[in-house]
Formats: sequence, C-alpha cells, structure tokens
Amino acid sequence: MLVSYNWLQDFLDLHEDPKALAEKITRTGIEIASTVHPMTGLKKLVVGHILSCEKHPDSDHLHITQVDVGEEKPLQIVCGAPNVAKGQYVIVALHGARIAGNEKIKRGKIRGVVSEGMICGLQEIGFSDHVVPKKVANGIFVFPEPLEPGSDVYHALGMDDYILDFDITPNRADTSSMEGAAFEVGAIIDQTPKIEECTVKEDGPEWTQSWQGHADLKLAPKYLLRRISNVKLADSPLWLQTRLWNAGIRPINNVVDVTNYVMLLTGQPMHAYDATTFANQTVEVRHGRKGEKLKLISQDEIDVDPDDVVITNGDHIVGLAGVMGGFDSEVNDHTTDVILESAVFDPALIRKAALRHANRTAASARFEKGINWDNTEKAIDIAALMLRNLASGRIDAGILRVNDQPKPLKAIKTTVSHINHVLGTQLTVSEITHIFDRLNLPLKREDDDQIQVTVPNRRWDLFIPADLIEEVARIYGYDNLKSTQPVLPQTHGGYSPVEIKQRRVREVLQQLGLDETINYSLTSTEKAKLFTQDPNPLVTVQWPMNSSRVALRQSLLSGLVDAASYNLARQNSELHLFEQGRVFNHAQGHYQEYEHAAALYVGHTQPTNWQHIDHEVDFYGVKGQVVSLLTALGIKENVSYEAGQIAGMHPTRTAIIKISDVTVGFVGMLLPQYQSQDKALRNAEMYGFELDLEKIMPLMKPGVKAQPAPKFPSIERDLSLILDKKVSNAQIISAIKASAGKYLQQVTVIDHYDGVQIEHGKKSLTYKLTFLNKKATLTDDIVNHAMDEVIESLKQQLGAQVR
Amino acid sequence: MDLFERVKQLRKEGAKAIESAATEKKLDEVRVKLMGRKGELTEILHAMKEIDPQHRREIGQEVNQLRDQFTERLDVSKKALVKKMVEQRLENERLDVTLPGRPVSLGTKHVVRILQDDLERFFIGMGYQVVQGPEIESEHYNFEMLNLPKDHPARDMQATFYIDDDHLLRSQTSPVQARTLEKHDFKKGPLKMISPGKVYRRDDDDATHSHQFAQMEGLVVDRHITMGDLKGTLESVAKHVFGQDRETRLRPSYFPFTEPSVEMDVSCFNCDGKGCAVCKYTGWIEVLGAGMVHPNVLENAGIDSNIYGGFAFGLGLDRFAILKYGVGDIRDFYTNDVRFLEQFRQEEN
Ligand SMILES: [Zn+2]
Repeated sequence: MLVSYNWLQDFLDLHEDPKALAEKITRTGIEIASTVHPMTGLKKLVVGHILSCEKHPDSDHLHITQVDVGEEKPLQIVCGAPNVAKGQYVIVALHGARIAGNEKIKRGKIRGVVSEGMICGLQEIGFSDHVVPKKVANGIFVFPEPLEPGSDVYHALGMDDYILDFDITPNRADTSSMEGAAFEVGAIIDQTPKIEECTVKEDGPEWTQSWQGHADLKLAPKYLLRRISNVKLADSPLWLQTRLWNAGIRPINNVVDVTNYVMLLTGQPMHAYDATTFANQTVEVRHGRKGEKLKLISQDEIDVDPDDVVITNGDHIVGLAGVMGGFDSEVNDHTTDVILESAVFDPALIRKAALRHANRTAASARFEKGINWDNTEKAIDIAALMLRNLASGRIDAGILRVNDQPKPLKAIKTTVSHINHVLGTQLTVSEITHIFDRLNLPLKREDDDQIQVTVPNRRWDLFIPADLIEEVARIYGYDNLKSTQPVLPQTHGGYSPVEIKQRRVREVLQQLGLDETINYSLTSTEKAKLFTQDPNPLVTVQWPMNSSRVALRQSLLSGLVDAASYNLARQNSELHLFEQGRVFNHAQGHYQEYEHAAALYVGHTQPTNWQHIDHEVDFYGVKGQVVSLLTALGIKENVSYEAGQIAGMHPTRTAIIKISDVTVGFVGMLLPQYQSQDKALRNAEMYGFELDLEKIMPLMKPGVKAQPAPKFPSIERDLSLILDKKVSNAQIISAIKASAGKYLQQVTVIDHYDGVQIEHGKKSLTYKLTFLNKKATLTDDIVNHAMDEVIESLKQQLGAQVR
Repeated sequence: MDLFERVKQLRKEGAKAIESAATEKKLDEVRVKLMGRKGELTEILHAMKEIDPQHRREIGQEVNQLRDQFTERLDVSKKALVKKMVEQRLENERLDVTLPGRPVSLGTKHVVRILQDDLERFFIGMGYQVVQGPEIESEHYNFEMLNLPKDHPARDMQATFYIDDDHLLRSQTSPVQARTLEKHDFKKGPLKMISPGKVYRRDDDDATHSHQFAQMEGLVVDRHITMGDLKGTLESVAKHVFGQDRETRLRPSYFPFTEPSVEMDVSCFNCDGKGCAVCKYTGWIEVLGAGMVHPNVLENAGIDSNIYGGFAFGLGLDRFAILKYGVGDIRDFYTNDVRFLEQFRQEEN
C-alpha cells in the first residue's frame, strides 16, 4: 500500500521528517520498503497557459505555441503532442529544466523554429504508465482546472508529497487503508487520529422497497446497495486524481475514482454499476454455475466456476463478486444512474476465485485478507456524498440491505505478569494501559494483574493473548528489550549418530581431494532414472516449472554430470567432484529418502605439471579412492567388486561394490558420451562412483581398541604366476588367502602383464605376500612351507604356473 | 748426494707435489710417495743407518720435522680438496627453484556447507541438538501443524511444489519444529534444537531466486523462555557470522507459527549503514525471521501453551553466504563451477 504523507496529515499532526517517520514505522509496525519524493531530481517545471497554437509550416504534426509562463512575454514552444490546443493549462519545462531520467531541457530550434522549452506529458516528468489517465497517456498533460501561470507544478500534481510504501504482512491488512495507516502511525507517534464519521442527507425518493435482494449469509454476510441518480460523468478534480495516482491507481472518471478513493480511505472495496444493469430491480449473490460465462471489465471472458461468488440481476451474472465487475454492467458514458455496492464477502472464496481467474485486484486482495466490518455503511455513505459533490448526483433515500450481519466485538483477557513473562520485561499495569491507549484499543483492568482488551472490528488480526503481547512488544519497542540468553537446565548439544557418520563421509571425500558440490534434487525424468541399479517409480511434482525440473533424482551422479557439463563448457577440464545428499523414490507406494555419496572424476588424478608426474583418471584410480574411503570409514573386511551393469555406466568397465554380499554401490566409467546431445561432454572420459550410505552407515562403528605396532619383523615373498587370462585377481587372492596359513598378513598385486612377451591367452601376475607372527619372530622354514602350500593350491585350483 | 741435500730437496719437491695434487686421489698418491712404507722419507730413514751417529741425529730431527710438515700440509690440502669437491657436487645439483612446484589436489567444502557447519558448531556449543527431517514432507507438518490451515492467505507467501494432495517438497525447515515438538519429552529437560536442510519453492531461478536452497531452523521451548532471550540469541548469531561490529535491529513481521513475529536486520556491511545499492539505501539488510512460538503450534503438538513457551527462528544459509561473501548470483551455489567453489577453501575452519 502506497501511503501519502500529505494525506496522512488529514488525520494526524505530522512534523517529523518523512524518512525518519518511515524508520519509526518500520521498527514498530509495518516495514516501509521505500520512501519516495516524486519531485526529486526535477527542476524548473511550471504551469503554462497556451495562448495560441498554430501548425508548424514545415511539419504535419508539430505545432507552434505561445505559452504564458508568468513572465513578461509568452514563450514560443514547438510541441509535437497530438492533443495540444489553445487555452490549455499545461506543464512547461523551461530552459534549464530537468525532467525524468535527469534529462536537461534546452532552448533550441525544431525544424527551423525557435522553441524555448518543452510542454510535458506526465511520463516525461517521472509518472509511471500505469497511473497516467488514458486520455493524456499519448500526449501532454492538461490540467483539468486553471492554475496560476509560472507557478511550479509539483504541488498541483501531488509531487511535493512523500510516498511511503507500506510492505504489509498478511496479518496487518488493517493498514491497507488511510484510516488504518493513520491508526497505526498515530499509535507509533502517540497521537489519536482524527477519523471522520459520515452523515448523509438523502435528497431523492425512496428506492429500495420495490427491489428484491437475495444473498447467502456465508457468501456475503454484508451486502449493501445505494442508488445515486442523475450523475454526470466527468474527470475528477485534480486533488482527487493526485491522491489516486500517488496511491498507484489510474484516474478514470469521477464515479470510478470515487469508489477507488473510498476504498483507499476506508479499506472497503466498492463497486459502481450502471443502474440499468438491474432493470428488473433484482440483485442476487450466489455461487456460480457450470457453463456460465462472464466478460469482465478487463474484457477477459471467463468460465465461471461453481466455487466462484457471483452477482446477478436475477437473470444473468453481472460481476465476479469481490474481484471484478462485468464489462456490460460497468459505468459508461451513457450512465445516468449508479448502483453503489459495499459488501463483505467470504475471504477464502474470493482468494480462490482471484487465483483461479488470475485476476488479483486491489479489491480482491483486501477481501481475502479481511476488511473492517464496521466500515461497510460508512464507506457507501461517503461514496454517495462524493458523487453528489463531484458528479451532481442525487442520493436516493434508503440503503438496500440484502445482508447486514453485525460482527460482535472480541474481548481478550490476559495478565500483566504473563506479558512480562513472555517478553522478559517488568512493565507496570499503567505502562501497558498507556500502550493500549496509544493503539486506541479499550482496556479494562479487572484487578492488579488481569486486563481485558476489547478489540474493535478494525483490528481483526487480534484474537489471542499472544496477539496482545505483540502489540505491547512493538509499541514498547524491540530496541528497548534487554538481550538475554535462556536460563535453562543443562542441555547436551550435538549431532545425531547418523549425522556424525554423514559428516565423516564428507570429511574423507574431501580429504581424497574432491570438491563438494550441491546439485538440484529436481531433474528431468530421464536423468532421474540414470545411475541406479534397479530404478524405482519416480517422485514427480505436480506443476513442474519446466521439463528439466520434474522428478526427484534417484542418484547423485546425474547431478554431478550436470556439474561436469557446466564446468567442461567453461574449459574447467580437471574435475574431482563429490556430493553427499539425498536421493528419492516412490517404492511400494511410499515416498522414500536415502542418503547417498557420489563422486565424479575427469582429467588427471593430480594437477598436470611440467615434469609429467601425473596420471589420467582411470578405473583403478577411482576404485582406489573407493577403497581408501571405505578403509577410512573402518570398513576393510568382506568388500568385493563384481563386474556389473548400471544404466548410464560403461558395460564392461563397471564394478558393483558389495559388502558381505549386500550391494552398496558401484564404481566405474560413465558411458562414453559421444552420442550425447551435450556438446561439452562429448570428448570427456568420466569415472565415478555412487554409494548408498543407508547401507554403509550401519557398518561404521565408532570406537577403536588400540593395538600395539608389531614388535617382530615381517617376511615378504614375491610370487610370479602365469595364468589363463580369464582367471581374475579376486580368484587368485582368495586362493592365496585360503592356503597361506595364519601368518599371512597381506597380499598385494605388484605387477600385471599380458603383452606380446607372453603366450596368447595367458597373463602374468606378480604378488607380494607379507607374513607376520605378532608373538614371535617368523622363521624361513615356516614361510617356505606356507609358500609351498600356496603354490600347490594355485596350480591345482587355477592352473597357475610359477615363473 | 748427501743426505742433507736429499732432505732439503725433498722438502722442496714434497711441498710442490702436495700443492699441485688436484684431486683427492692424486693427493693420496703423493702421500704414499712421500710418507708411505716405501716412500721417500722412509728411504731417507733407511739411508741414515749408513752415516755417522752425530749426523744421524741431526738428520733424524730434520726428517721428523719434515714428516710433521708433510702431514700438516697433506691434511690442509685434503680438506681444501674435499671442500672443493663438495662444492662442485652441490653446484652440479643446482635447481631452478623458480620452476613451479607440483601442487596436490585438495578438496573444498561447499561454501553453503561451510556456513552450515560453522553455525552448527556455534549452536552445539550453546547446547542445541542438531535434528534432521524429511525433504518430502506431508502437508500436515509443512503447514497444518504450523498454524497454516488450508486457504490461509500466508500459504501464498510460499509457492510450494506439490507431489500429491497430501505431500510436497518442504517449503521451509519449520516442519522439523513440529515433528520435534511432538516427540520431545519435557520431563527430560528443555528442548533446544536446530535443523539445517534443503527446502524448495516454486520460483524461477535467477540471480536472487532459486527453486532449491538451504535453511536452518532453530527452536527453544521450556517454561520461562522470553523474547529477550530470543533477541540475545539472534544478536549473538548475527555477530558471530557477520562480525562483532555489526548493529542489529528487530522489526515486527509475520509468520503464522510465531506470535509475536520479528525479522532481524543487520547494519549494511557494504556502507556501514549509510545507505547503498546493496541495502537498497536503507542501511539495513534483512537476515532472518523469528518469533515466539505460536500457542497453536504448541497445542497442535500436544504441549500445554499455558505452561510452556519458547522461540523459533529460521535463516537462509544461501542468503547468509551471499551476504557474508558478497556472492552476486545465488545460482553460483548450484552450478558448481570449480573456480567458484575452490575460492572458499581458505574459509574452512
Ligand atoms: Zn548499504
């Protein structure tokens, strides 16, 4: 809500600098998003009176005008506006003037004719298009009344005002009116606002008796109509237009402007119908019906929904209640009699209708957040009076009260001690009483502690004691609250066991040289299914923003590939990325979330260098990272890697990772992306792994039982073997482990060869076996014996030859 | 030649030979030639037997003197040669130390995570428990339990991704408040918790909006929690993150699950409160929302709001990172350009 400082002066005696006032309001009530002084930056703009207006001899659209600007001689100004004419009072930018955009106006020649200034349109002096009256939107602004030539224009146009933008939270819709704002500012500066009541002297005949009105109490607990006859449609006087445009509303004509003005003043939305709409003297408020259509004032044709609330004339729909009137019932140039509507509609229904028809108006916004039930009649009376004054209308006697349900006042009880207990203050009952006085909320002291506040209907946001506490807190001032820390019994802060494990996983991944990324959980349906061993039903959102954010990911790798693509497109070709986060599915009809960890590698294992001491990322390097990770997590036993297939992974370069035969993830090369649509990925070799932490975290057992470092020396033996190519390292290792006896500490592959030096179909592998007896020094005899067993077993089981 | 003459000559030649030996090996040969078992000095000593005893003694003295002299000279020469040789070797080993070293790839924590970890430690130190909640949340916890019934206008404040009629991607971390309140046993002590995590809103991604971001929720509930406690807690958070010299202010705001509700601003770090483009010329930057837990939220969780009360707050981790590090575009957190990510390595703690 744009609140005019000058208009506020009608209610309050303001002396404060508008910006300082805005700061106070922000700290106490409503955030003031901005304070704008429209004339800022403008210079030498005065009223001019056009004495003559001739066509320019060398142009078919320019005019040469002589303009009285209060100086001895009139100024000659060349003007290109189509609406310029003799006799008009206009805005003149003199030589040396500044207009919008800090543009400077200079004397000059236009098509050979001297022009000593410029006649301006409102946009040219900083008005926004959406408030400029349509009539002057494509030309110069013409004052609707004579003004003193040479006087400056700012006051006449309301530009000397300060406009405070009240950023109103949904609970404080009571400040969406000048009266509401005046109460709020009054409480802040400790003044009682002057709120005027209204008494109407009706001067036309009684009109309501012959009318029929029906309205569901739930849809419209209040529904009042007044008839104003013989109105003369015209432009509103300038004072009214300036108040509207300073509030961000475009002036249209005196009837519509009055309804808008009254809404701004009282918060009560108003609507004016051409009275011929209700020729059969019937009005009805009801739900819409399937198949009904309505052409709105905005000229949009809508299909009425059964949940909409509509106004009818007993025959057809004439308006979408609380949102917008119908095009055919609108006040127009031929209107003589007007029906004014002032009502309270069901907030939820209005909200839904406005959303449904994508038509949130100033009226619907107020209805949905609530309005003051005690202003319905006052508003219609003020509007009637204004139409008499501004449009020479006749106020016909009587108000048609289709519904006029009163709203009882609420009384809220609380205690001074409770207020102090919640705020941490020591306010006295008289201090609290004073605060409610400032708010104009009647307070009754029941005893030394108990108080009761009666809430007028203009403050429909107050229901419970906590609401009163907020009123006390903000008027007392948050700045005045003492900062303390909770005084509580000891609590033990910390992470849950699961978080400790997730943090450990992230820590190790980072130690492995990986950069942590955070990727979007929402992705396309294709990507969401990639990199999962057995894809489950996807979780999809109902109204996706676009096709690349439809489904929740089932793997982290898909997001890491997006990150890789982004980087590769920017020539960042050395990537070591990880993410630890959640993946989702809809398995067995339940929404499931799983913590995962994944990594993606492109380029080299270490930064490339001039010594060429670096390796290209390959399967074994990445597998080594998995091993290091699992080892650092305390998982050393029963881990196996089996060739396997995963959507999106290379079919012959991928291993399924199992711990004790339970699949916990996979590692391998991503399917070469040469067919990919994504140009950035086409030439990249990418490796990665993905781990299901839900399976791994239970195996992470914190707590180490210390072992001394071995005291006795170990003995190492190398063993070179020639085997069939199809025999896997895993088979050999398990055969060695099974036959080497209890002193075998470790077996590692130290060489692998399958080149031309060896018989076709064979390969050579060399292992280092480490033997250790923790309790005594090992003898060669024991180790020799163990080696004999190993060799015999390898020969028998795997057909190995020893080299 | 008489022996005196030989000694004299040997003294001269020996000195010369020692001096001219250019390598350790040559010097060793000289030593053998002069003083070895078949060396010249030995020969002179052998020849001494032939001469008269009077001269023999004289010669003997001269030979001893000469031996000492040779020994000393050989020693000096040897040291000089070794020194020279070492110097030569070191010179041969000279490297161009200005050639680049081989850096090791270090991993970097994501900047949003850096802030999350920092705040978690801060709150854990004050006795808060860290709690996680689901990202696919029911409407019940995301809205209803938080005093946001259906058709509440404040639901418009958050455009929500719905999955079905009852489920959605949580639009805030606040549902974890409701879940924790429901479970907490106040007989075992006060509730003090924080809950960081991802949240989702139906916003188009641009420099200042993201359909996914990270929040941290905080909640303290017991018998005697005051708004002063909230103010004190928020001030210490703001100063911890943004610096001790920041000023803070609370101003009224609105959240359905707190009453009173406030937002906290800190004085603009860019202009120190004078007003600039960063703070939209207000001198203040909004950093978080908070308030006293709404009685309905407590009652919904089965807690007697006449006995228990407390405060809650919610802050945006992305927003904190944006403000703290001057990040111009929220999308930078999610596109993961490694040049962007790696600059925060030094901020880890
Ligand atoms: Zn600033």
